[in-house]
Amino acid sequence: MSLVKNRLVGFALIAALLVALPASAPAAGPSGKIIIFHAGSLTVPFADMEKAFEAKHPVVDILREAGGSTKMARLISEVGKPADIMASADYVVIDKTLRPKFCDFNVRFATNQLVLCYTDTSKFAAEINPDNWYQILQRKGVVWGHSDPNLDPCGYRSLMVLQLAEKFYKQPGLYQKLLDNRPQANIRPKSVELVNLLKTGHMDYAWEYLSVAVQHKLKYLKLPAEINLGDYHQDDFYKQAKVEVSGKKPGTKITRTGQSCTYGVTLIKQAPNKAGAVAFLAYLLSKDGGLKILADQGQPPLDPVRVPTAEMKAKLPAELQGLVQVKD
Amino acid sequence: MAASTASVLLLVFLPLVQMLIGSSPGLMWETIQDKDVLRAIWLSLYASGLAALISLVLGTPFAYLLARHDFRGKKLLESAIDLPIMIPHPVIGIAILSVAGAHHPVGQFLAWLGVRIMGSVTGLVIVLTFVGLPFHVSAVRTGFTAVPERLEKVSRSLGAGMTATFFRVTLPLTWRSLLIGQIMCLARAISEFGAVVIVAYHPMTAPVMIYERFTAYGLKYSMPVAAWLIIASLILFVLLRWVSAAREKRP
Repeated sequence: MSLVKNRLVGFALIAALLVALPASAPAAGPSGKIIIFHAGSLTVPFADMEKAFEAKHPVVDILREAGGSTKMARLISEVGKPADIMASADYVVIDKTLRPKFCDFNVRFATNQLVLCYTDTSKFAAEINPDNWYQILQRKGVVWGHSDPNLDPCGYRSLMVLQLAEKFYKQPGLYQKLLDNRPQANIRPKSVELVNLLKTGHMDYAWEYLSVAVQHKLKYLKLPAEINLGDYHQDDFYKQAKVEVSGKKPGTKITRTGQSCTYGVTLIKQAPNKAGAVAFLAYLLSKDGGLKILADQGQPPLDPVRVPTAEMKAKLPAELQGLVQVKD
Repeated sequence: MAASTASVLLLVFLPLVQMLIGSSPGLMWETIQDKDVLRAIWLSLYASGLAALISLVLGTPFAYLLARHDFRGKKLLESAIDLPIMIPHPVIGIAILSVAGAHHPVGQFLAWLGVRIMGSVTGLVIVLTFVGLPFHVSAVRTGFTAVPERLEKVSRSLGAGMTATFFRVTLPLTWRSLLIGQIMCLARAISEFGAVVIVAYHPMTAPVMIYERFTAYGLKYSMPVAAWLIIASLILFVLLRWVSAAREKRP
């Protein structure tokens, strides 16, 4: 009996110690897992940010999941997958899918533009230039593609570039003619998958963001500002492009209107690790932290990072107030 | 023993039953009328069927070799045929795409022939054959090993050639294991996702569509497709099993 009693006392002491220890450790900065859902095109810069942030805070474990921004946002809103932060290639996705039920604010932090990527072994690689690309893409045997417009902003943006090209080069019917030479098999769910297809020679041309082309050392063709969705001064021209993508239910549709590529990031209301998430956001949005990594990786950040209204700025956590400004 | 049986049955049947009863009848009816869903299920069954037939033709002689002959390097060959089972599925897809790409001699040869692998039914069937072949070979080899070689030798000594011996002595004794091999290969091919999604996202097979619907619309709209795929597969397998059982009853 006394042996059992001794064992019980021993267990109680150890249990008390184990419970007491964490409480006695001082709360020093972010810790634990931080789950970040982000656009496929942010993979390379975010991987660098993950390394830098984890080096600064060794008790943190950042778990990233990349995909088409529309798909990632729906994973949060429709499927209920837990996430702390959502970074989208199109800030509109966050506004339409996640606000206000899943987030309070939407910080616009980076831009991008669409380019036509290819490699040395692509057909007609030596011939292609900003004046004849839309003719080369119509040639039989040229394999070119883009990502799924229903799952990835880069997908519907690629289609918008083609629509704007029809207007800019004054070639009625160009959009349809181009699509006629792009079978469904050339569509992939995530734009960065196209990089692999280009490099293994399965595809000749792919529509990608400039940052992705730079990061993966692909050859690319820059297009006029009126059609490359990269210049917000051209928003009135971009507005002419409209693409229908799938809605919340199979069979329903939403219309996306052309606009310059603006990336958005937010904190999810139901975040499992709010403190850690806010700390990472503060790092991402600082000029010598995440924003510098973006600039180095060929994706110029917005300066300043912004929210459209003072009302939204008030909803930002205290740590981010100094980093974000109100600007439309 | 009872607890073990109960656990196994629960583990297997609970998710299946949930899948089948989880969607409302209205949604199930709506889903089966969707042309894309019908096309995806048909593609899954058709491409897997092709893969199973190719495995039958290519794999059966190989299984016979493994069952009947001993040679140096046999153990290596046996491990090699099991490799597709152990390789992670996305890796299979990436490997096949790399070999079939423009930078590889095989890929260049295929391009010269005009054969397209990426995003085509051809590529799909190649992937499904790759993953299904080991299952067919395993099952058939077991069947061949069970037939005493003595019987075949007697047939040969009576004057029958190798082919005649195979079709008149070996096959009648092992056709059931060939059928089982086909069922295993078919089952494996229908459920393949990781390798397929890399080689051919379009045209969409049923597992790819289920995943796409799950990520785009959520659980509610992907479950009916999964349920219909399970029902279609169940019907197919019950039919195949019935064919093999029916023959057994004949005197």
